[in-house]
Amino acid sequence: MTRPIVKLPEAFRETTVGEEVAVMRLSDGDFFSLTGTARAIWELIDGQRDSAAIVAELGHRYAADATTLGTEVDRFVAELRQAGLLANA
Amino acid sequence: MIADPALAKIALLRRESELRPGDPPRTLDGVEAGPGRWLLSYEEYLLQTERGLRFHYRRGAGVTAAITPECTPAELELWRNGSVYAAIAALNGMVPLHASAVAHGDGVTAFTGPTGAGKSTLVAALAGQGFAMFCDDTLVLDLDNPAQITCLPGHKRLKLTEQALAMTGARREEPVTPDLEKYYAAPYAGTVDRPLPLRRLVFIEEGPELGLHPMEGAQCLLRLGEEHYTTALFEGVNGHDRDRIFAARARIAGAIEMFRLVRPRDPAQFMASVRLVAALFEQDE
Repeated sequence: MTRPIVKLPEAFRETTVGEEVAVMRLSDGDFFSLTGTARAIWELIDGQRDSAAIVAELGHRYAADATTLGTEVDRFVAELRQAGLLANA
Repeated sequence: MIADPALAKIALLRRESELRPGDPPRTLDGVEAGPGRWLLSYEEYLLQTERGLRFHYRRGAGVTAAITPECTPAELELWRNGSVYAAIAALNGMVPLHASAVAHGDGVTAFTGPTGAGKSTLVAALAGQGFAMFCDDTLVLDLDNPAQITCLPGHKRLKLTEQALAMTGARREEPVTPDLEKYYAAPYAGTVDRPLPLRRLVFIEEGPELGLHPMEGAQCLLRLGEEHYTTALFEGVNGHDRDRIFAARARIAGAIEMFRLVRPRDPAQFMASVRLVAALFEQDE
C-alpha cells in the first residue's frame, strides 16, 4: 500500500447541497463544486485509503476499468493537492 | 417570559429599533461616516444619508437619530425600517436579506435581486392572487432553531411605483417620501405577523426568456454572497470570517429550495411570471 491520501481540514469548509458537495477554500473564498465521480472520490478520501483503495471502491460503483478510474483518481487528487486541499504525498 | 426563541428575537428587534432624537456621533472608531455612507463595528452602526440624516445604533442601547428640519417623519421611518433595521438584526446575530416575501402553506417564499429588480411588485401581484405579504425589502432570518430557518416578521409596508400599482392593482396609500416616486400600498391578501420557516429563495433576473430554474450546490452559496447592503452588513458583523459566513450560508442553502426567476422586462409578460411563481406554491398546499 502506498501512503494514504489526506485532506487538510483546516484549509477548507464543505457542505452538501442537493447532489453536489460544495467546498470553499478558506484562504481565498474560492468554491469547488464536486459532483458525480469527483464527489465520490472526495468522499472516499478519508485519510486511510490510498489511490489504489479508492480506485477499487470506485470499481464497485462505476462500470469503468481500473486503468481509466486510476487515471481519473490520480488527475483529480493532483488537482486537489494543487488547490491546497490535500496534504502533499 | 417569552418561551419561543423567535418571538424573543422579534421583541428584541422591536425594542432595539426604537428611535430617540439626539446627537449621534459623527465618527466610529475614528472614521467619519460621510453623506451616503455607513460604518459598522462589533457593537455599533453609524449611518449618514445623502440628505444629512444621521443614525447611530449601539447594541443594547437602541437607535439615536439626528433629525434635520427638512426631514419628514416618513423619511425617518423609511431609513429606520430599512438599512437601520437590517443593521440591528445583523448586530444581534440574525441574517438580514435584501428581499421581499410572501407567506403560503405555513412557510415563506422570498424574492431577492438588485434594487429595481421587481421584488415588491412581484409580492404585490402575488398578494392579488391570495398570498399574504410577509415583508417588503428587508427579510430577517433567525438561524438559532436547528430544525428550520425562521423568518421574523416586522418590516411590513409595501412600497410601489405608479407603474407597479397599476400592474398589480394594490391599493395606493400615502407617498413614501416627497422626493421618491413611490407610494405605500396595502397588499390585497393582508400581511402575516408570526414567525414562519423559510421554504424558498428566488433570485429575480432579467433575461430574454421567461423561466423558473432550480439552483444547486455551490451556485446557491455563491448567490447568497451577492452584493447587497445586507450582505455587507452580515459579512462586516462576522468580521469577514469566511468560516462563520460559510457556515451560515451552508445552513440556509441546505434547508431551503432556491430558484432563478428569469424574465424579460416586458409588462405584457409580468402576469405570466407571477403565475409561474404561484404554481410553485401549489405543492405546499
